[in-house]
Amino acid sequence: MDLSYRLRLFIVLLSIVVLTVGALLFKNLLIPDSFGIYGYYRADAISEAALVPIRHWTNISCFKCHPYEAKIHKKGHHQTISCEFCHGTYADHVKNGKKIGTLPVKKEKEITTLCLKCHNTEIKARKEEVIKTIAMPNHLKDQNVKLTHNCNQCHHVHAPLKYIIRAKQITRMMEAGS
Amino acid sequence: MNRRSFVKKVLNGSIAGSLYLVWPMGSGSLEISQQIPEQIPGIREKEYDILNQEFAFIVDITRCIGCGSCCVADKREYNVPDGNYRTWVERYVKGFSDKIYVDSPNGGLEGYQHPRTDIEEKIRDTFFVPKLCNMCKEAPCVQVCPVGATFISPDGFVLVDEKRCVGCAYCIQACPYSVRFIHPDKKTVEKCTWCYQRVRKGLLPACVEVCPTGARKFGSMKDETSEVYKILKGPGVLTVLKKEMGTFPALYYKGARREVI
Repeated sequence: MDLSYRLRLFIVLLSIVVLTVGALLFKNLLIPDSFGIYGYYRADAISEAALVPIRHWTNISCFKCHPYEAKIHKKGHHQTISCEFCHGTYADHVKNGKKIGTLPVKKEKEITTLCLKCHNTEIKARKEEVIKTIAMPNHLKDQNVKLTHNCNQCHHVHAPLKYIIRAKQITRMMEAGS
Repeated sequence: MNRRSFVKKVLNGSIAGSLYLVWPMGSGSLEISQQIPEQIPGIREKEYDILNQEFAFIVDITRCIGCGSCCVADKREYNVPDGNYRTWVERYVKGFSDKIYVDSPNGGLEGYQHPRTDIEEKIRDTFFVPKLCNMCKEAPCVQVCPVGATFISPDGFVLVDEKRCVGCAYCIQACPYSVRFIHPDKKTVEKCTWCYQRVRKGLLPACVEVCPTGARKFGSMKDETSEVYKILKGPGVLTVLKKEMGTFPALYYKGARREVI
């Protein structure tokens, strides 16, 4: 009588302990390792986010292998434009110091379209002190060139005023000489 | 040990030693941190102290020309699927009747090449507003996430844990700035992270890096020489979007009109 009473009590207590330990183990299994270090989230997610590979490098990275373009680009009014905007990302071009692909170079009408993304006067939100804008085809008419001309026939794409300044220097020299 | 073996051993040692010095540089690729000069001063010189960092982002509306460089860079940096945008540029047009017309064709990816033709009244004011994650200090998206997949990191970035996200899209509804979307392939939530991985490497976010006019500015608030610190400390008027929501964004706008939301 007395013994069976104690046995029942023992069984109840044992099952409570087993259930508690089991529940704690189960809960531990469900919670990710670094959960709760900084807050209600996985702290490892931060270091994982920091390890995402980068695809855009910088102009300096491009200039290392393209010194000719670098020399022109750095001097001109377009020096703040990223190489990767027109040509594509560094990651598509170089991997571990080796060339893995060729980046596109814009040609003919593509160039005019690209120029007018920024330099179109019709978009009134562009301030004069920020960017110089032109209206097409009025600009071509004003400069007395054919209406089929592309922008890069007068403007170097990397340094837009490169040829213009040079041409002005030459004509001034000729005026002075005559 | 005789003289012969001693000389041999010394020679072998010095050759092996010099090879050891040269070898790792020749074979393995250099760390990115050694190849690109640091753009955010103070990140690389010592170990990153996550508990003692603060960053700010300033968008200067008066300088934005709507070229779409930032949108293109963002799409390429993360291979963002078509139709979804981590950052985009909106065009605001204000008529003399004070009516506001906002559009953002393809998120500004192709830039703004043509003016709007559907507006009949005379235009009073027009400007571009780049949009991205506001990195709220009291982020509604973090509050509603049921599984702890989106969180504010100790350095102030609102990030998404892809492995925990269940794609319930509750945060998409909660975000007052609509910067979140469900990635069509991964079926988890994606958003602008201010290029967290770049910042940790001491580099500027991709959109800031490519911005030709300096309309987007990013920097550390712990660095008193940084441009953003000087702007925030200075007297210029800076606004945040939807201030009345009480989200306390770390993204500030310079030159934003009252109508910008």
